[in-house]
Amino acid sequence: MSLANRMALASEHVRALTVEANEFPELSRQFGVSGVPRTVINRSGAFVGALPEAQFVETALTLAGVDLDQAPDGA
Amino acid sequence: MAILSEGVREQLRARFAERLSGPVQLTLYTRPGSGRLILPSGFGCPTCEEARELAEELRDAAPEKVSLEVVDVTATPTPGVSDVPTLRVWAPGGDPRMAWQGLPGGFEFATVVDAMERVSAADPGLSEQTLAWLGRVDQDLEVMVFATPT
Repeated sequence: MSLANRMALASEHVRALTVEANEFPELSRQFGVSGVPRTVINRSGAFVGALPEAQFVETALTLAGVDLDQAPDGA
Repeated sequence: MAILSEGVREQLRARFAERLSGPVQLTLYTRPGSGRLILPSGFGCPTCEEARELAEELRDAAPEKVSLEVVDVTATPTPGVSDVPTLRVWAPGGDPRMAWQGLPGGFEFATVVDAMERVSAADPGLSEQTLAWLGRVDQDLEVMVFATPT
């Protein structure tokens, strides 16, 4: 299972959508797909390539504006 | 005609017998009968029929654990589904947060099978660090992945 799907399974706030790029060329063009896998966060920021788990999640959450440096308890 | 070969279906039955613990819901959104339509608007759905057959074969590999609902988007309001075919994999009673748009063939078929197993076990298989990071997500987040079958 892709990391996007694992994120969705782990967090009620995350939704994962895998798009077959060849089947939806208009959507692919809309999001600038020239290579796969291309991951688009909140239909805005994006990155290309299959990244290791930590790097994938850190990049995705950073693009989403999640503060990863914040202490877990908010202190 | 079956999408999966008999050999693959047998492997799938054996794999699901071993790895599926809890129930899994598949929901497939299609536009039946539109496979041969060729319209500038893109209304036709050339892979909807194949997607339905594939979803049925996934269900038939473990019918005691896997439920399949096929939804005709021309007859039923389907919020959150922008195009067809779209397949959702989720735990019954839960929130469907994983979807595949387009026929999930090749490598993506393997990701669907793995997703079914992880949903069944309610195990995302992520590290403690990743789970801690995800715990800081407090707003809706969409992760869209463009992929190809190979």
